[in-house]
Amino acid sequence: MRSKINLYLMEYALNALLREKYKSFFIMSIFTLLTFLLTSVFFITNSIKYELQSTVDTLPQIIVQKIKAGRHYDIDENVVDDILEIAGVDDAVARVWGYYYFENAGVNFSIVGIDAYERQYKKTFENIIEDFDFETLEQTPSMVVGRGVKEIMKQSYYDEYFNFIKPDGSLKRVDVAGVFDGQTQLESNDMIVMPKETLKEIFGMDEMQATDIVVKVKNPQEVSTVAAKIKLIYPDTRIITTQDLQISYQNIFDYKSGIFLALFVIAIFTFFIIIYDKASGLSSEEKREIGILKAIGWKIDDILKEKFYEAFILSFFAYILGVILALLYVYLFQAPILRDIFVGYSQLKTSFELPFIFDLHTLFLVFFLSVPIYVAAIIIPSWKVATLEADEVIR
Amino acid sequence: MIELKNVNKSYEINKNNIVNALQNINISIQEGELFVLKGASGSGKSTVLSLIAALSKPTSGEVIVDTKQISKLPDNFACEYRRDNIGFIFQKYNLIPTLSVSENILLPLVPLNLPAQEAQEKLQRVMKMFDISHKAEAIVKNLSGGEQQRVAIARANVNDPKIIIADEPTANLDERLSLSFIEILKELKALKKTIVIATHDPLFFNLDCVDREIELHKGNILS
Ligand SMILES: Nc1ncnc2c1ncn2[C@@H]1O[C@H](COP(=O)(O)OP(=O)(O)OP(=O)(O)O)[C@@H](O)[C@H]1O
Ligand SMILES: [Mg+2]
Repeated sequence: MRSKINLYLMEYALNALLREKYKSFFIMSIFTLLTFLLTSVFFITNSIKYELQSTVDTLPQIIVQKIKAGRHYDIDENVVDDILEIAGVDDAVARVWGYYYFENAGVNFSIVGIDAYERQYKKTFENIIEDFDFETLEQTPSMVVGRGVKEIMKQSYYDEYFNFIKPDGSLKRVDVAGVFDGQTQLESNDMIVMPKETLKEIFGMDEMQATDIVVKVKNPQEVSTVAAKIKLIYPDTRIITTQDLQISYQNIFDYKSGIFLALFVIAIFTFFIIIYDKASGLSSEEKREIGILKAIGWKIDDILKEKFYEAFILSFFAYILGVILALLYVYLFQAPILRDIFVGYSQLKTSFELPFIFDLHTLFLVFFLSVPIYVAAIIIPSWKVATLEADEVIR
Repeated sequence: MIELKNVNKSYEINKNNIVNALQNINISIQEGELFVLKGASGSGKSTVLSLIAALSKPTSGEVIVDTKQISKLPDNFACEYRRDNIGFIFQKYNLIPTLSVSENILLPLVPLNLPAQEAQEKLQRVMKMFDISHKAEAIVKNLSGGEQQRVAIARANVNDPKIIIADEPTANLDERLSLSFIEILKELKALKKTIVIATHDPLFFNLDCVDREIELHKGNILS
């Protein structure tokens, strides 16, 4: 047996593709488009999952909210002292935060108030305290903003300061002291950080009130025990743990994945239409060519090898091209259009970057969903013709 | 030596319609012979050629070439037999129209995976022999009928087979080209090849170079 690879066969296969330029080009374009779509979807999903997970990781272990008539109300700052008494609690901080609607841009930003002397519940805030002189922030009323916020404010010509409208209708001018980078893009992009006092004024909150309280527990396994104890002392509170948040994040994400799933199904469907078209039979010229090759002494496996090369060259090339395009589209161009489906309009209109996650599993999955199926769709009908008597085929 | 023993071949068109293309045929062709099968259209000439080339199998009976039972060969061995022993010049030439002359002629060698130089030598030899070298790179579908036939002859000879089979070789040629085909036959005969030709062209009848003729009529041999 000859074990050497038969280059003539490969050359013939390549030639066969080139002879049918337009047809090959058409199939390859569709194939490339589909691998591109599939791979992009997977890339975007992976990146956003990663972002969400890192966001969840930065979230506090326990959040305590005051509930009245089923709605969320401001909580008394003194509650912090009681919580600190509970065994196992490492720290408790009263947070002041909320959303502010920027009418000019039609966007909601989240605003967080912090104090320099507190222990910060987020690494991002520690960095801000380190990087900016907090006393000046308090004296001048100034704020530190995320990149997305900065950009949108710039568009409305608020480059150095912004006039917040207080609940009583009067204005509060706050200067922009600088821009910060968060631990995750999702976190930092639509966020404004300023001294608690200033923010309470903007929100019209009482001196001794806070939005909620975050609790840090020494041993992560005790989170639920501590949560239960707080609930016992303050029955009028709602206790949210990281786990709960993770679930609700996951729910939002799953819903969006559903939309993608629909796209995905459409892509697969198109692919199978091509496959069906291919598998349902060869054209009479294709049949004749197989018959001729057989009549001049090609064996069935010579013919099938040739067809395999033909299908593999085309589909593998399209696959590689699709993956490269997806890499460029998702990570270089940040997936315009497709991304909006995932990162919903209301939640985040501001931009954030999709982090580059290189995932071999995705590439394998897309490969096995495409190349072997196409190869089979070419080989099977060819095999059917090749096993017929040559005389029948070329007659 | 080629032998057909009690060969029957029938085609089932549908359940109630069976065509008996050959009925109890006995033919034996000696090595180096130029053998002519005559007969009207539909008399079964092409069917005999197919059987000798193992392109199809008899419904019953035996086809033996050099002591080998061609009619019993499994498909892959039949292909190998064809590749190594038979040069078939088809009536419709059966070239691949979108390939060039040299690519078409090289086709039978592709599965052999020969060293490039050897393949080239074989190619040049037959292109020269059948006077088609000047069209080596031309695409086959742009050639005239006579040129296409020479490509088909070159392809049939590229692997230097012992047996040459030609089905109605002059059906599409004018008289001048037909005569030059007969010259080619003489050359091949000089190379000691066994040649089997199916034709109803009177040009072949009583030719000096023809060793034997048989006439078929509705699947039977007329003596
Ligand atoms: N694959 C097939 N299916 C059905 N009938 C067939 C098939 N091949 C041949 N026949 C029939 O067998 C008979 C003999 O055919 P064959 O082609 O051998 O004749 P021929 O002598 O070569 O005729 P021609 O001079 O027209 O080429 C014809 O009646 C033909 O219709
Ligand atoms: Mg015929």
